[in-house]
Amino acid sequence: MIRSYSLRIASGGLLTALLLSACTPADPRAETSKALTDGVLLPTYSQWAEADRRLAASAIAYCADNQTTEEAREAFVHAQTAWAGLQPLLIGPMGEGNLAWQVQFWPDKKNLVARQVTALLNTKPELTQADLDGASVVVQGLSAYEYILFDKSIDLGDAAAKQRYCPLLTAIGEHQQQLAAGVLQQWQDKDGVADQLRRFPNERYAEPSEAIAELLRVQVTALDGLKKKLGAPLGRQTKGHPQPYQAEGWRSDTTLANITSAIKGAESLWLGANEDGLRRLLSAEQADLAKRIDAAYAELLQQLAGMNQPFAELLGNDAGRGELDALYKRIDSLHRLHQLELARALGVQIGFNAHDGD
Amino acid sequence: MRRRTLLGLTGAMLAVGSIAGWTLTRDGGQPVLLSARNGTDGKHYVVGYRLDGSQVFATPVAERCHDVYPHPYLPLAVFVGRRPSRESYLIDSRDGRLLQVLASPPHRHFYGHGVFHQDGEWFYTTENDTTDAGRGVLGVYRLEGRQLVRVGEHATHGIGPHQLLWMPDNETLVIANGGIRTEADSRAMMNLDAMEPSLVLLRRDGSLVSKEQLPERMNSVRHLAVAADGTIVSGQQYEGDAMDRVPLLAIKRPGQAFQHFPLGERQRQIMNQYTASLAIHDELRLLAVTAPRGNKLFIWDLDSTELRQEAHLPDCAGVAAVAEGFVVSSGQGRCRLFDCRSQRIASTPLQLPAGLWDNHLRIL
Repeated sequence: MIRSYSLRIASGGLLTALLLSACTPADPRAETSKALTDGVLLPTYSQWAEADRRLAASAIAYCADNQTTEEAREAFVHAQTAWAGLQPLLIGPMGEGNLAWQVQFWPDKKNLVARQVTALLNTKPELTQADLDGASVVVQGLSAYEYILFDKSIDLGDAAAKQRYCPLLTAIGEHQQQLAAGVLQQWQDKDGVADQLRRFPNERYAEPSEAIAELLRVQVTALDGLKKKLGAPLGRQTKGHPQPYQAEGWRSDTTLANITSAIKGAESLWLGANEDGLRRLLSAEQADLAKRIDAAYAELLQQLAGMNQPFAELLGNDAGRGELDALYKRIDSLHRLHQLELARALGVQIGFNAHDGD
Repeated sequence: MRRRTLLGLTGAMLAVGSIAGWTLTRDGGQPVLLSARNGTDGKHYVVGYRLDGSQVFATPVAERCHDVYPHPYLPLAVFVGRRPSRESYLIDSRDGRLLQVLASPPHRHFYGHGVFHQDGEWFYTTENDTTDAGRGVLGVYRLEGRQLVRVGEHATHGIGPHQLLWMPDNETLVIANGGIRTEADSRAMMNLDAMEPSLVLLRRDGSLVSKEQLPERMNSVRHLAVAADGTIVSGQQYEGDAMDRVPLLAIKRPGQAFQHFPLGERQRQIMNQYTASLAIHDELRLLAVTAPRGNKLFIWDLDSTELRQEAHLPDCAGVAAVAEGFVVSSGQGRCRLFDCRSQRIASTPLQLPAGLWDNHLRIL
């Protein structure tokens, strides 16, 4: 009796609910969060996981002499730039704990990567996957992989050298593949990070504005991180003395490619895949800010596209350093546009107690 | 709860006689959350909100405050200036009326924490002796009418003192000496190569009961919670390398030494070398800690040390126990109530203004 009654109500209710949802204007912040999740975040995490899958396969093929050193290096550069592009999207599991250190160890002020790779292979010449999984984060990630494939002190043309380093290469490839696959899984799980960014309220976000705030904050953190990554080799913390070995990816000369990839990642949050990113949350009165941010991204990417010399060469002459200084200023102004003006326009508080120091 | 002990009531009756005009009754029913908070206008406020979101008061103040401590029975509270502030604020907690701007004496500044003694007559703060940068001082103030008057000071037997709380006897103070020297008008750390953090138990007359240290010299002991049985928990902020593996919580159980609290490696990593506020729920024997750099609230069983909750809460800040569990604030998002009465802890967002809440809150 009760059941049939409620069924009738339910069928009528369903229709009403459909009509209502079609008529009720959805919360633009909820829509934006969902659109960015499906159009930007999930695809970028998938691409990163795929790049690491290819890295792991490349290590195996290379060590079986089925790939050239050039091909192995390409697979590394692909994985490295995919990781760089993920920086402005480090929300959820990848932004917690020291998981990011397992992917990349930067800054490496004391050349720990070289020292720890050497020490590890001296103590474990027959290195297993378990050895690496239990080792220091310094040797588990792309920085150690890059060291083996690109460092001038290692001649992989020599069969004995290749034999020495190959167990570590394949173990790092596998470690990265598993790490990325695990993170992607946490995104895709039911009630995982993607779901939490799609439907509100949930355990993580009390309302859509909390999700938008977190997306903007990770973007701002990444832009700030780029200033440090460029500022360190430019000597901004060392009285202007250039520090070429403090550059991210100096061995593989991926420094500028990484910056480009990260800026594009940040821009994808701003624009969205279908003009449905953070930009559309600005009102008509805030159109001027939107245009200034558009221009800041465009100018920055244009400058990067024109910088074809290796990073170390640019750092080594006055004209090059001038270009890098100009690049730094552009990143700085993009960072400020987000941290100050966009945050204010969207009503987002950036950092308060986390930087309190009390 | 301890404020309502028999001793406290006796003190209350005595004091009511001496301070005419005050009533004992609090704003009926709803608990009131007291905290420092910034406004969206960028100004500093001291605020009181009922947990249903209705505002009791929001009073603008010149300096950013840190912790707040209510009087044991009068409708008064002191919001303590955040270091290196030279001002704290005595307010009427019913309407937020500013009763006194409490200035620190020359060559002293506040560190953001203070406590009323349970008899209601005395107030104590941690202060910096800037003539010997970082030398810890316990400022002693007496409540005379509606004014606090500084009457003396004692050494905290350490450097850079931060939070202080009462032990269950309400006569002994536990003080977190952060170990970091700073100068007047400055937050710059001067002695990272020679930090001396310590946990000190001190009688009200300034006599030292005990002083203990953790093995890591760069592990600054900053915040505290004390359980009804006298168990002390401290939260640290580590000033060394980001890669160093250092536990950030420590515990001193009754009769035992001050030692590391068994912290899971995952939780340690998430904290990012930084803890903010601590609270203990005495009935449920739970410990809650906010980790604003890790954007997490953690809850442990105080006795078994089992992790009960790891909740995402960006820039989480103040935490205090309420009947159901804990109320937590955030510098960036909504405040939340964590109901801990059943095995599965449930969180509910509160309808208080979102974000800009400062590091500590207290429930009246």
